[in-house]
Amino acid sequence: MQAKGNALKQGFIRCHDCGYLVKTVSQLSSCPRCDSHLHARHPHSLQRTTALLLSSFLLYIPANIFPIMIVNQFGAGEPNTIAGGIVELIDSGMIPIGLLVLVASILVPSSKLIGISLLLLCAHFRWQVNARRWTRMYRVIAFVGRWSMLDIFMISILVDLVNFSGIQIIAGPAATAFAAVVILTMFAAENFDPRLLWDNQQNL
Amino acid sequence: MNPITAYEACPECDLLLNSVLPKIGEKAHCPRCGLRLSRPSKQSVERTFALSIAGFILFFPANLLPMVGITIMGNANTGLLFSGVVALFNDGMVVVAIVVFLASILFPLVHIVLSLLISGHLYFNRSNCYLAHWMRWMHHLDEWVMLEVYMLSIIVACVKLMSLAQLKFGWGLYAFIALIIITTLLTSGLDNELFWQRIEQLRNRNNNAS
Repeated sequence: MQAKGNALKQGFIRCHDCGYLVKTVSQLSSCPRCDSHLHARHPHSLQRTTALLLSSFLLYIPANIFPIMIVNQFGAGEPNTIAGGIVELIDSGMIPIGLLVLVASILVPSSKLIGISLLLLCAHFRWQVNARRWTRMYRVIAFVGRWSMLDIFMISILVDLVNFSGIQIIAGPAATAFAAVVILTMFAAENFDPRLLWDNQQNL
Repeated sequence: MNPITAYEACPECDLLLNSVLPKIGEKAHCPRCGLRLSRPSKQSVERTFALSIAGFILFFPANLLPMVGITIMGNANTGLLFSGVVALFNDGMVVVAIVVFLASILFPLVHIVLSLLISGHLYFNRSNCYLAHWMRWMHHLDEWVMLEVYMLSIIVACVKLMSLAQLKFGWGLYAFIALIIITTLLTSGLDNELFWQRIEQLRNRNNNAS
């Protein structure tokens, strides 16, 4: 395998969907192999990612303040926030499971928000960085995002199973906000184009 | 070989490379950013076809048979994938219910049906003008099929309930686990580049014939 530098500078556009290479001079608007629209880079990558990221930052606040589920035991409701549920798991001795939920529903979403912000700043201000390391960070962010849905699925299972006259679990208002955070950050990661990091490096 | 297919570009750093197809069982990585570019697998079309048939069959027991049953103070209740969605919906959590429905039921089903259709057409060498569209949809759906995340939440939910209830696992859960194994094998064994080349060949052959 022999490297030949940046494909766009050599006059090639890679189809985002099927990977086919098209010459820029052909001025095609859609890929001859799969018919999807051709873009040298994701269109409006930075604007879209910023918009999605700001919305998720805002929704992240209600997602953590409000209860995500409420345990109704004999008429007395006990609201549980995301952090409260983890503390309860660890208190009752389920340390590995508690840590798992801690990673999936607190560490992953918050580090994702910070990570995407850094990637955006880096691409916008054309920081001269080790692009290989930053691309690896992007890849980790894009990979771990879906695992935050763990809490949402767990609520759907608990709400369904624990539904008796004496004891009931119901979903709280934070569930919607948290699901929105997870999905918006997934879209944000999808819209960010890591090739922008490489375009900005002058010493390649 | 078409002069353009002699090259390929890395999807994450846009490095232009000479196309090299690694041998079966070997991987090609981008020398600049380290992304895994391709990993051809043996008999990708045949395997995908077989696995999608198995996955399609397993989808039904996984969704229709009870997964987990619990008993609290003499009261019993069982849960399905779909009854979780309904419970959320009844609580007024419409958005969350829709998200759970899409990620754990609809998208996995559509993903399996699409891979069944695509690999079936390639296996029997049938051309179809929708093949490229199906392939693109499947590619976009990949990330939104969250069965393995769901599995992990079943485990966490069971651990939470262990102290206050008796749990019983149903056949639905075993079918669900088998379905997860099959979808994982399906996505890892699917050779994207090979599939696109075959789709293009079929289309060209069809155009020449007509």
